[in-house]
Amino acid sequence: LTGLAETRAVIFVALAATTLVACNRGAPAARENNSSPQGGSVTVSIQSEPQSFNRFVKRDTGTDLVMLLTQARLVRVNRSTQDVEPWLAERWTRSDDGLRYTITLRSNVTFSDGHPLTADDVVFSLAAARDPKARALTDVFEIAGKPLQLAVADPRTVVMTLPAPYGPGVRILDNLPIYPKHKLEDTLKNGTFSSAWGVTTPPGELVGLGPFVLSQYVPGQRLVFARNPRFFQKDSAGVALPYLDRITVEIIPDQSAETLAFESGRIDMTTDRIRPEDYGTIKRAADEGRAKILDLGVTYDADSLWFNLKRGVFAADPRGAWLQRDELRQAISLAVDRKIFADTVYLGAGVPVLGPLTSANKKWFAADLPAPAHDPDRARTLLASIGLRDRDGDGRLDDASGNPVRFTLLTQKGRIVERGAAVIRDELKKIGITVDVVALEGGALVQQFTAERPTYDAVYFSLVSTDTDPANNPDFWFSGGSAHVWNIGQKTPATEWERDIDQLMTRQVASSDEHERKALFDQVQKVFVAHLPTVQFVAPTVLVATSARVGRVMPGLIRPQILWAPEAVSVLR
Amino acid sequence: MLGFVLRRLVFALVLVAAVSSASLILAALAPGDFVAESFGPGAHAGTVAEARAQYGLDRPVAAQYAAWLSRAVRLDFGHSMLYDRPVGSIVPERAVNTAILGATALIVATLIGLPFGIVTGSSPRGIGASVVRGVSIVLLSTPPLLTSLVLVFIAARTHWLPVGGMTTAGIADDSLLDRLRHLIVPAAALALPFAATLERLQARAMQDVIGEPFIAATVARGVPRTRVVWRDALKASLRPVAALYGLMIGTLLSGSFVVEVITSWPGLGRLMLDALRARDVFLVAACAGTGALLLAAGTLVSDAILAFVDPRAIESRP
Repeated sequence: LTGLAETRAVIFVALAATTLVACNRGAPAARENNSSPQGGSVTVSIQSEPQSFNRFVKRDTGTDLVMLLTQARLVRVNRSTQDVEPWLAERWTRSDDGLRYTITLRSNVTFSDGHPLTADDVVFSLAAARDPKARALTDVFEIAGKPLQLAVADPRTVVMTLPAPYGPGVRILDNLPIYPKHKLEDTLKNGTFSSAWGVTTPPGELVGLGPFVLSQYVPGQRLVFARNPRFFQKDSAGVALPYLDRITVEIIPDQSAETLAFESGRIDMTTDRIRPEDYGTIKRAADEGRAKILDLGVTYDADSLWFNLKRGVFAADPRGAWLQRDELRQAISLAVDRKIFADTVYLGAGVPVLGPLTSANKKWFAADLPAPAHDPDRARTLLASIGLRDRDGDGRLDDASGNPVRFTLLTQKGRIVERGAAVIRDELKKIGITVDVVALEGGALVQQFTAERPTYDAVYFSLVSTDTDPANNPDFWFSGGSAHVWNIGQKTPATEWERDIDQLMTRQVASSDEHERKALFDQVQKVFVAHLPTVQFVAPTVLVATSARVGRVMPGLIRPQILWAPEAVSVLR
Repeated sequence: MLGFVLRRLVFALVLVAAVSSASLILAALAPGDFVAESFGPGAHAGTVAEARAQYGLDRPVAAQYAAWLSRAVRLDFGHSMLYDRPVGSIVPERAVNTAILGATALIVATLIGLPFGIVTGSSPRGIGASVVRGVSIVLLSTPPLLTSLVLVFIAARTHWLPVGGMTTAGIADDSLLDRLRHLIVPAAALALPFAATLERLQARAMQDVIGEPFIAATVARGVPRTRVVWRDALKASLRPVAALYGLMIGTLLSGSFVVEVITSWPGLGRLMLDALRARDVFLVAACAGTGALLLAAGTLVSDAILAFVDPRAIESRP
């Protein structure tokens, strides 16, 4: 990271009625050697092939990767810095009330087939996202449950109108790939857009604004992307991007085979981070000079444990007296030795955390939160305060009725969370709580806790935030949200502290003052960790690897850590 | 003979129908569904409900099955939710790849297993026989998953062979040599345990036949022992091995699913795994049905081999 120098010029010009923002950042600049960075190719791997070439229809990893390589957006969140950067947009202005953004497109930008980009394409793309059958991005472009609007002012100008004040502003447009109206308008009109650009579409028919074009797809085997000679971006030295001539994406479904393929030199990088168990193999390749390991630091999200806090679900269950109590979750947080957790689950490559954000989220993490502690005695005291103590001397806690303190923890089968759940079970056994771990397939698990009237006890699962800006994760923070996993879709806040968070987040989302937004979100985090509706233990360190021949990269913490900016990747020659 | 073939065809149809139906019903009954799997947590309830209605997942399993069955009799096996295409356009190409892998493995296993079995069966006390027997037992007790990983590991370390996939990027798709090079690791991973099975079976059968009076009589007439072993004893000992071929083809198919995943071979097993993970019930049913079809075809071939070796065995079957 330190070797990467970015030319950044962020110009804020205050106008009488509007605020003008312009910048030319995002283009990679420095060279690692004197030779031209252009040319060459790399081979990467993914574990599952794309389900579609249409990002508006599917949201799987493969489809998303195709989008990242072949399409572009008006703005892009830099995954190294988490800042918003103009991309197809050259600049934008904001009205005084914060509800209208006037966005100017770059001039002379063309799709890969030579057709010029206009404001019509932008408006078309939002309409495509709202296609009733497409659905992959349907819910993204809503603020406070109401849709934002885009309108054409002139061929190079788009006006975005927000239904309510929204602090992140144009950041929301990072989710909107701009698709060619001239190629897809008919499908949207005749209701076939959701089946357009499926995986059987000949690569030559796919058109985009991104750095690469799909040149070959061999089902089950690979995708080959060639340089888009019409890509609009240049680096700060004026060199046309992308640097690479070709990216080959091999489909390798098994991660162990993926690691072996990397070690053998068949692939230059994977699209996922290194698993703890693969570290030794890749470190050996690095020590032999065949690979480079990039330590990106701690991840943004730690896996979460939560209890079913839906009101009334334990009415007929005597455990209802304690299963939903704050003290139980606080005691669990204190009882689990996070050092043991990190050593067992992540082979030491993790840091203790408390709360859903980690210190990696430099902008929004509240640094003055209490440090996570390991204090089994205090945990026992807390449990005793809600009537859970060892009444018969068998070393296991009992509730007031003499029933053993026992709950079922659902987790996802075959994932690292399964290992984490086992550690939680073992650690809680030390303070007398019996945990039955049940591992389910992903879809079955999700269905358990998203049910209208869920019946589970507790879940340990990986919740990944879609953006580091909390305003873009309202479904998690607001009590009525669909990702408010411990009690989804409340009509009114079930608790006082959730009401407090709703109020703070409402102000946080609406404010355009970044300092105010930070202060408000600090308060949200304090309320959150005081009640711990989700309990986190350890956040893993993210390590990614490339072969030694890969030169410049701009890694970020979110997958795909390297290919989020494919135009910046080069090879040493 | 014609009656036997017809009975086999009817059996194949019933097998495919039963396996497809059972797969679809079981996949639909299992907790979770395609929408929960693909949308994950956080999707709006309305969006999820609309998607379930679009795919018909909001209907009872019996209704889903009845709708699928009514289409299937017209050879429309449904639409893959995962790939948004008719399953009939996805499965055949993958089935061919699985058939190539399975047939190659079977041929390799036969070419390795039978000769070694003949040698170890006819001379069971030699050092060579002991070594072959030991290797066979190790290979028999090693699951295809582990064999695949070991072979991929060796290929990765030595760079002698491609570590996965079916072709090399940048080489013309019709390069037969390139495909054969890619076939070596998965075919070997699949073939070695079966070669060991064949070796053990053939060795046992050979030992039994060698002890028969007609072998002793032939040797007593002055016919060289090598000729007796490779002509008379071999033909007599092949029947139990040939009878097990049908069973082996079924095991070979299930083993190939694991090998395909480890060696990135784009076959039916990998497709079915993706379909199962995504809970794409129609694709699961189509993959399972095609697997059953391959199994039925393999059984037919094994019966043909058995008929060649011992026509009485087929004639005596119902």
